[in-house]
Amino acid sequence: MKKGVILFAYNTEDYDYVKMAEYAVKRIHYFLDLPVTLVTGNRQYQNNLFDKVIYEEANTNNKKDRKVWFNKDRYKAFDLSPYDNTLILDVDYVVNSQKLNKLFQIMDDICVHNTTEFLMQPNLPYEYLSAYSYKTAWATVIGFKKTNKAKQVFDCMKMIQENYNHYSNVYNFVAGTFRNDYAISIALHIVNGHLLPKSDIIPWNLIHVGKNTSVYKTNDNVLCEEFVVIFDNWKKNKIKKEYIQFKNLDFHVINKDNFVELLP
Amino acid sequence: MDTKTLIQEAKARFSHNAAKAALYEKYSSKLIVAEQNGLWKATITLISFLATISDEEVVIIDEFNNLVKVNRQKLHKTLLEIYTNVMNEWYDEFKELENKR
Repeated sequence: MKKGVILFAYNTEDYDYVKMAEYAVKRIHYFLDLPVTLVTGNRQYQNNLFDKVIYEEANTNNKKDRKVWFNKDRYKAFDLSPYDNTLILDVDYVVNSQKLNKLFQIMDDICVHNTTEFLMQPNLPYEYLSAYSYKTAWATVIGFKKTNKAKQVFDCMKMIQENYNHYSNVYNFVAGTFRNDYAISIALHIVNGHLLPKSDIIPWNLIHVGKNTSVYKTNDNVLCEEFVVIFDNWKKNKIKKEYIQFKNLDFHVINKDNFVELLP
Repeated sequence: MDTKTLIQEAKARFSHNAAKAALYEKYSSKLIVAEQNGLWKATITLISFLATISDEEVVIIDEFNNLVKVNRQKLHKTLLEIYTNVMNEWYDEFKELENKR
């Protein structure tokens, strides 16, 4: 069974996602020892770091903060992936341990995170699609096998993307910006008969570096394993800065500007 | 700017509680293992249960809520080994934290 990782990277005016993918691929090779396929909108792009580079025209039909955001068409991963067992990772997910290799042993068809932990903000509640809806699953890390059920989930994501306004009405969320997290949350529930079996959930938390929190590398090595997180803790109208230092823990950086600072 | 200087200039205080929480996230997932067609977490409860019964085979509900018939001794040995290794590693890092300021 061929295992591998697939990354999607479409550059925008503000961020060089391909550069982020180059950072990610080095870490994936080092920690997970897996081949990586890049899906990008740059037809000329070639880089030996990647097992395969696939050109796929960007879907420009999405906006975030009034700017174009190329995050649609993630459902194509099922057909694009050259691997039997695939991990889809966001390029701003920092692989910093071998933990993800365990997913290949434990996943049945498809699995995602639906529980999160924000570093230094332990009491933040989980995100829900809306007050009366499902807990949000995260498309930051998706593991899948090329099975019928996984195909159904990705086909369903396509259907949701194409009818996003309708699903926003059904599930009562704001449709302004398309989110893969919402699409996969709904798709998993539909395919599973509006239940979510435990086998579709990654049995550990997705670690975020979130708001008011910044992450710094402790050295300039692209494979740096130790990071410092500084948190602006508001107490009595004053900021008290707190920090932790950790190693060998994967994390997802929500603030792109902060993530860019980690790049070599 | 290196991180030491950064921490000093920001007058940031080391947060023991947040560091403990990060360690929990790091190590609790290491207790999870796939074995004998089931997914298990090496917990004190499960290890003790496997140690106290005498049947060669036993049916247990795994982390995915599936009923799995397992070889008791084999699973017990695997879980105990994982538990011991992870806890020792965790403890070493936990002790390092106590000295941080």
